[in-house]
Amino acid sequence: EGYGEQLPLKLGGATCVREERLTGRDSLVFLVDASKEMFIKGEDGAPSNFDMTMQVVRTVYTSKIISSHRDLIALVFYGTEHSKNPNDTFKHVYVYHDLDEPGAKRVQDVDALRGEKGAKLAAETLGCGPSSLGDALWCCANLYSDIKLRLSHKRLMIFTCREQPHGGDNVKDRQARTKASDLKETGVVIDLIHLMKPGGFDVSLFFRDIVSPPEDESELGLQLEPCEKLDDLQKRVRAKEQKKRATARINLCLGDGLNVAVGLYATAVTARKPPPVKLYRESNEAVRSKTRTFHTQTGSLLLPSEIKKAQTYGKKQIEMEKDEVDFIKKFDDPGLVLMGFKPMEKLKLHHHIKPSVFLYPEEGEIKGSACLFSALLKKCSEKNVYALCRCIARRNNPPRFVALVPQNEEVDDAKVQINPPGFNVIYLPYADDVRTLDLPRCTSASQEQVDKMKDIVTKLRFKYKSDAFENPVIQKHYRNLEALALDMMAPEEVEDLIMPKVEQIDRRLGSLVDEFKNLVYPANYNPESKPAAKRKTGAEKKPKVEVSMDQIKVHVQNGTLGKLTVPVLKEACKQFGVRTTGTKKQELIDALMDQLSS
Amino acid sequence: MAKSALILCMDVGFNMSNSGPGEESPFDQAKRVIQKFVQRQVFAETKDELALVLFGTDSTKNPLDNDDQYQNITVHRNLMVPDFKLLEEIENQIHPESQQADCIFDIALNVCVLVENTTIHKLDRRNIVLLTDLNSPVSSDNLDVIIENLKQADITLQFFLPFPAEEGDGEAPGDQDRRGPGHPGTGKGLSEEQKEGLDMVKHIMLTLDEEEGLEQIYTFSAIEQLCMFKRIERRPMAWPCQLTIGSALSIRIVGYKAVTEEKLKKSWKTVDAQTNQKDDVKRETVYCLDDDNETEVQKEDIIQGFRYGSDIVPFSKVDQEQMKYTHDGKCFAVLGFTKQSSVQRHRFMGTQVIKIFPGKDDEHAAVALSALIQALHELQMVAIVRYAYDRRSNPQVGAAFPCIKQDHECLMYVQLPFMEDLRHFTFPSLENNSKFTPSDEQLSAVDSLIDSMMLVEEDEDGKQKDIFKVHDIPNPAFQRLFQCLHHRAVNPGTPLPAMESWLKATLECPEVIRERCQSALGEIKNKFTLTQVEKKKKLKTSAQIFGKDSDEPEAKKAKEDEADEEFNLADIAEGSVTSVGSVDPARDFRTLIRQKTLTFEEVCKQLTHRIEQLLGNKSTDYYMKSITCVEAFREQSVKLGNADLYNSYLQLLKSSIPTQGLESFWELLVQDGVTLISEDEVEGSTVTRNEARQFLVTERIEEAAAHPAEDPGDVDDLVRIVLL
Repeated sequence: EGYGEQLPLKLGGATCVREERLTGRDSLVFLVDASKEMFIKGEDGAPSNFDMTMQVVRTVYTSKIISSHRDLIALVFYGTEHSKNPNDTFKHVYVYHDLDEPGAKRVQDVDALRGEKGAKLAAETLGCGPSSLGDALWCCANLYSDIKLRLSHKRLMIFTCREQPHGGDNVKDRQARTKASDLKETGVVIDLIHLMKPGGFDVSLFFRDIVSPPEDESELGLQLEPCEKLDDLQKRVRAKEQKKRATARINLCLGDGLNVAVGLYATAVTARKPPPVKLYRESNEAVRSKTRTFHTQTGSLLLPSEIKKAQTYGKKQIEMEKDEVDFIKKFDDPGLVLMGFKPMEKLKLHHHIKPSVFLYPEEGEIKGSACLFSALLKKCSEKNVYALCRCIARRNNPPRFVALVPQNEEVDDAKVQINPPGFNVIYLPYADDVRTLDLPRCTSASQEQVDKMKDIVTKLRFKYKSDAFENPVIQKHYRNLEALALDMMAPEEVEDLIMPKVEQIDRRLGSLVDEFKNLVYPANYNPESKPAAKRKTGAEKKPKVEVSMDQIKVHVQNGTLGKLTVPVLKEACKQFGVRTTGTKKQELIDALMDQLSS
Repeated sequence: MAKSALILCMDVGFNMSNSGPGEESPFDQAKRVIQKFVQRQVFAETKDELALVLFGTDSTKNPLDNDDQYQNITVHRNLMVPDFKLLEEIENQIHPESQQADCIFDIALNVCVLVENTTIHKLDRRNIVLLTDLNSPVSSDNLDVIIENLKQADITLQFFLPFPAEEGDGEAPGDQDRRGPGHPGTGKGLSEEQKEGLDMVKHIMLTLDEEEGLEQIYTFSAIEQLCMFKRIERRPMAWPCQLTIGSALSIRIVGYKAVTEEKLKKSWKTVDAQTNQKDDVKRETVYCLDDDNETEVQKEDIIQGFRYGSDIVPFSKVDQEQMKYTHDGKCFAVLGFTKQSSVQRHRFMGTQVIKIFPGKDDEHAAVALSALIQALHELQMVAIVRYAYDRRSNPQVGAAFPCIKQDHECLMYVQLPFMEDLRHFTFPSLENNSKFTPSDEQLSAVDSLIDSMMLVEEDEDGKQKDIFKVHDIPNPAFQRLFQCLHHRAVNPGTPLPAMESWLKATLECPEVIRERCQSALGEIKNKFTLTQVEKKKKLKTSAQIFGKDSDEPEAKKAKEDEADEEFNLADIAEGSVTSVGSVDPARDFRTLIRQKTLTFEEVCKQLTHRIEQLLGNKSTDYYMKSITCVEAFREQSVKLGNADLYNSYLQLLKSSIPTQGLESFWELLVQDGVTLISEDEVEGSTVTRNEARQFLVTERIEEAAAHPAEDPGDVDDLVRIVLL
């Protein structure tokens, strides 16, 4: 299924792939100022603006490789001494990478421009020269038009610390403005990532007419302070670089045909190691797989009308047509239907079955949605209630109930949005999803013991941030690939950020641990050892339970195979010569039932 | 797991078929109760065993039948796990019979006790359910013996009667719902026998269980509770581990999955439509190179690689195994503690909540864990932990929240995101935009809507009452599936039934709320203007998508256009076209038809064969080629006035979309407007113009399109399991 598999989206996967097929690829051009000013180091040896920019570019490259490698990225410098662009039409514009999918080589190229050495390399290959933003934008426009693929989202980010790149040259300014508006007309969104310079960065002097107007009417984009720290820069670029796409556009029905159009957005999706690609040994080229369904006896291909679907219950196989299977799943058309409201405290912490999604109005579908949505958001938030809805996100999906939890917009000190305004959609469990547990008898701790633990907890306080932990499994996988792709001797080390820093913890706690242990544990108690009773049952279990073939048959007849353990069932399969690929209990049972009950 | 044995003991005597006009007879009611109950058991796939004993039967069949006393009692089925055979038997073999034996139900009870005792299995529960209208005369002679027997065997008893046991003697209002309101024929209509019988039933029940005995007497209308198929229950698996804080402090814990999205244990299998045999269907995957000949590659010659952006890196399983991330296995280690408020609810990841309790039978661990739980609770903090289920599974980062309930304390673990999981989308502000800012009037309309739709109300005692508890609703998808499976199994050959009304009702907004919110809703309609945006449907033709316009020089396009209309000399020059090749099948197709050396049917067959091949590739470029083939097919068919081959092929193609995953191809076809040939175009076509147009409008396509979404994830899961 082509590159569909590569997307680490589970929830949004289909829509994205589908949209991509229909609408094309996302693209991003980094247009970076390479003037002398960009190379000036900050106070106390802080990295130069150029150095920071390269770090950010690298981060975007590697994150794209992981999350959306089909996106196209280009890196272009302006204000250079040397020129490099198709046919060398433009002076002082250096296309370092043209629009293409990022790969290992490109990451290396960008790495080479980082740090002290990078500055040196930049001086050699790029050099500093006069700037013409107009030419640079023109050159970028050519990059876009050279692409044979259909592009959906086109973004161009200008990194600079100079508020007037042409030093007030009106002709050049005008030319740049013309080119910028040409680009914008073809659907390119131009962003300014302005960097710190002494005396502040006045956007209104020149760049206001270059960049695309912000999505909302606010002047938010231009009021932003220039980026000074790498962190801020990363955040600002990241916020712009990820194109948001609704995984579904549906109506929120308040009742009686009163509909608000909304989009569902997957804001957190479990990133997974991508599945491997199959290659032909001789040439390392990717092979395609074709799956066919055919009749075992005649060998002829089976048409959809020649197969049915079946399940077995109570020793009976029950067949359905394929469209009956779909029919059973269909409850209603996709949409959110309001049931009512509940106070926030009714939303239980443990009622969690999958990651939430985000809800935002779609003014483009039903005009007036944003206003009613906004009123609903405001009032829910004020009254501290959530909306309970029935949700069918996609066609033929059975309904789920969801809590729409209001979230007000929040921006940080640098005016970058941390939390967007809208509802978080929390999926709620059905009765089947909540398990009944046998609650063990509990002994409560005394206040003294609790207080000691409070000291421990307080000593180990830290500020949690949801993006603080990298996934060591994925990082390691990509480091390995990187090493293989770039013929490196050994992969770069991955720091496992979710490993407890044991030494630090021990040092911080000091004697508290022993004090606590003295309060709760008796002298000879060792929590590391397994309890004696446990071991005994383990030993008892060992001897293999033999079940005769006759007994198995009786079990088959009575439908009581489930009473047997997996090893016994496996053994039984072997005895009866039942071939099974499954290892799960149900699969073994099914295989035995299939064979023996007929 | 708890196993139990249950005996359904049903009165089928002739009195049971008595009913007032228009009323369902007690027999039919009792039969439905039994059916529903057995259904539940079958689909829950419990290991509980079940027997069916009938009394009042014309014949006699029971272990004691040589004794005169035990006549007219039939053990229809001994204790075993219920199956569809039993359901079919209930449906087809159990009828009201004509016997009216005296003193029969006490004797039937005796038989039941005996049957209960036949099982060799160790049981946790034995239960007898008696369904009767109590109309057969009862003697109380044996009663004490029976009660003694029941007590000794530790058997519990339930009665299902057509009327409530406690009519009029001060029922609690809550009981009303349980028994079903307004049951017909209650109270005054009881015969002398029934009154006597009822007294005896009460006596038995109270002797067995003084306090709650009477609660085990149900009416047949309890069927409402039985309609629901049992919720899926799984045995919680204990996960013993140590919670560690640094190197020196550890606490023995045990974890249980408490909440998780439950999936059905069984999935659909593919069977042959004719024989209904799974073994008759085989799926095979072959691999081939991406060349014109689709050269097949043997499985042994395939190695694996991974994408690194635009690069594909060959990476053998062995290397991968050696270089992959490894860790020490099972772990629940505290990384630090943080404020509860800094862990946002909408950032919860994963698909489960794990409850952490102290290690089994370890009082010291209980105290230590309790200290942690209470400390966290008092400080309003949570532990951020590294969690790894075992050595083969990937470690996670998550939060452990304190949870203090009246009867227990525990930690609740939820997975939190990794940096790679998060997408930082920025959305336009809603407040800074004057167009979207609601007026005070509008806000107050929404305010009253919320007030009128509160699902949690306070009753007179100030106690909160939640009238819509989602976690009490059974998963409707399972309920519906079981309903349909059951229907198909006992009524083969009939269409699937509509959704049951009770199920539909549970998914709707409660009636009270719907009525109460009417005026507020009307107010909102007045105050807000909502208008559907008319969309000029942006039609993307396949040519636009593939950039055909820009890719191909005008000259070449013109040439092709010409070829469409007229026979091109250049094509003859190429002359050697003898079959529809893979390079330009559409052109070959046209050439062959003009050459007339092969029959139209034969050429069409060759073309459709090529189309199948192309579609097998599942790639947009090949789709493009396929579309030109289909277009050529259509154009030539119209020209020759032969619509049948084309029309039937296109219909076949359409029906194969969901199974072949050709949704996106179909969409392109739709956008290019390639539809059936109608009678307007070719005389003799059986398709009307409207049908031809409707043909492309299909719901199925979009439905099916949702499916591939799930697949990559599943494959991914599988791969992970295999590789790790």
